[in-house]
Amino acid sequence: MTFPILRTSLISAAMATLASTVSADTISIAIGHQSMCTDTYTAGIVVKELGLLEKNLPHDGKYADADYDVSWADYSSGGPITNQMMANKLNFGVMGDYPLIVNGAKFQETDSLRTLYVAGTGYNVKGSGNSIVVPVDSDIYSIEQLTGKEVSTPVGSAAWGMLLKAMQDNNISTADYVLKNQSPAVGAANIAAGKIDAHSDFCPWSEIMEFRGTGRKIYDGSETGVPYLHGVVVRQDFAEEYPEVVEAFIKAIYQAGEWIRADPMKAVTEMEGWTGVEKEVLYLYFSKGGHLTLDPTIKPAWVDALKFDHEVLVKEKAIPPLDFDAWITEDYAKAAYADLGVDYEAEKAVTVDPKENNAGLPMEIWHARDGVSSYPDMPAFLTALAEMTSTGAKLNASYVYDSETGLKLFGKTAFWVKAGDAYTTFLRKGDAESYASANGGALITFEDAIAEFTAKG
Amino acid sequence: MRAALSIITRQVRRSWPRMLLWGLGFAVLSQVFMLLALVARFGALPNYVTFYDWIGNVVRIITSTPSWADIPPIIAEEWLIEVGRMNYDYGTGISVWSLNVIPSRLLVLFGLGVLIGLAASLARRESCSAPERRGATLATGAGAVLVAMTNATMSWVVCCATPTWVVGLSMMGLGVSTSLALERLGPVFSYLGFALLIATILGLALRKRARQRLYRETTHA
Repeated sequence: MTFPILRTSLISAAMATLASTVSADTISIAIGHQSMCTDTYTAGIVVKELGLLEKNLPHDGKYADADYDVSWADYSSGGPITNQMMANKLNFGVMGDYPLIVNGAKFQETDSLRTLYVAGTGYNVKGSGNSIVVPVDSDIYSIEQLTGKEVSTPVGSAAWGMLLKAMQDNNISTADYVLKNQSPAVGAANIAAGKIDAHSDFCPWSEIMEFRGTGRKIYDGSETGVPYLHGVVVRQDFAEEYPEVVEAFIKAIYQAGEWIRADPMKAVTEMEGWTGVEKEVLYLYFSKGGHLTLDPTIKPAWVDALKFDHEVLVKEKAIPPLDFDAWITEDYAKAAYADLGVDYEAEKAVTVDPKENNAGLPMEIWHARDGVSSYPDMPAFLTALAEMTSTGAKLNASYVYDSETGLKLFGKTAFWVKAGDAYTTFLRKGDAESYASANGGALITFEDAIAEFTAKG
Repeated sequence: MRAALSIITRQVRRSWPRMLLWGLGFAVLSQVFMLLALVARFGALPNYVTFYDWIGNVVRIITSTPSWADIPPIIAEEWLIEVGRMNYDYGTGISVWSLNVIPSRLLVLFGLGVLIGLAASLARRESCSAPERRGATLATGAGAVLVAMTNATMSWVVCCATPTWVVGLSMMGLGVSTSLALERLGPVFSYLGFALLIATILGLALRKRARQRLYRETTHA
């Protein structure tokens, strides 16, 4: 059904309204991002604050006379970004895997509107970023102990999907625990107050709780083996009208990743100022060996992961179908990479697995004044910590690796095992105990490990 | 049925200002009720309010959506006011809960209030017996609860969270599996609520018609 006269009148009215503020050659680019979701930063806050999109926007050909009006809107989750995109108040949306799927499916449910999934921001191939946390003083150390307990999660998020799979993998049926729907901030507050047995959340909430000393991770998303990824969607009508702008955005994402990799400590310090999330937490994600691999390419494994996530959402929340072939396109990313002189296919073929990639990486100490220093082995690391603590130096954080998964951990939250003269660190207490009994070692505290080197000194 | 409709029409003509007041009152009070429920549930007052350019946004939606069929559902989700509680302990602040005043839902609640007002005026003391009034009150209340419940616009920050009715129930403590099971039934509950209300109104009109006829017959006798 069409009403040409009414429609023309409305368009005229709208144009008249817009004409007062925007010239005819102005291209408005509105982006919805999430400053409380670390994995979106390379398409969100970093691009915004460094002005990377503006630096890449085209100014030749049909864009020769164009002015750009770039605006950014910060959201706490992906859902509202999708709504704003449907209303055409946002052209681009940056969000995690589950909200991305909802975005694509909701658009495809309409007659005339579509979005395109044009680039990733980053990933963890095994699923780190989502995790289950318990209050720091809890006597729960494994997911099996959650039977009969109350567990909260933001239902509909990637953390919720991870929780469902984790419970299934461990043969814990939904009847065996009480699942509560809870927002991250309330979940974190409940963990701090010991009001809930466990809370499952997405990046970087678990690490914030660990860093603040209120929560302890008992299960990492990497145990599910389902990749955790974030990406960028754009309205198809916008992408078709301004393909070079979409390419400029993808170039900006790539450059944001380069900027972070060049100096992670400086980058996370800047990002703390922009987002309010502690730099030490961000370092866990963005440093070498961190949880997040910055990579805009769209890999076949990501498509499979998104299809898996879609099945979960269809089963649990009855979301509409999603034609992945129509939704996902690499065309813009390939064009952007070509412009940058980067081999898209070569980067697409590389997948970083923390267990392999992080083997042999040095431990790190973040001294409040001197910055981050690296140590190739445990004795050197613990000696340095002992020296620094004995002088009363302020340390922001220290970082070690889980010997089972290769995950980067805070030194203070890891489980430490001393076997002979060797020190090994673990994410999970169970793994630490198994290792200790198999190697004639014993669990010790982080403080004890440092103290041994203080005494030696 | 024609007689019942004629009585309803007469009643509407006679008491439309009162019905409008019912509609306005119900739409406004439902928002206040939801806000109070949120404050009670989370034990904290709201600390932010955002006003949206609803008209401008509607114009934008109409001009940028090619299919007319897509326009109403998108406009239906447009917010006018967002009021909620921001937690500044994390990042630059994250909304813990919010109440979204959405004109499309206000319209539904206004319609609901009008129907309740109509039912109330039909069930007034002089035209209805006490048991009939009790039955009508019960049916009207049930219909109102069903419609109001499915038009709740409370939301919180969980991924994919939009102010759907079931999110509101979830925030009030409804279990996850129950809320997920109920989510799909929202439209059914809403239609059921309106059907119950309309049936009550028709029933009251028919009773009134019967009483009028009986009164005339008694008087003539």
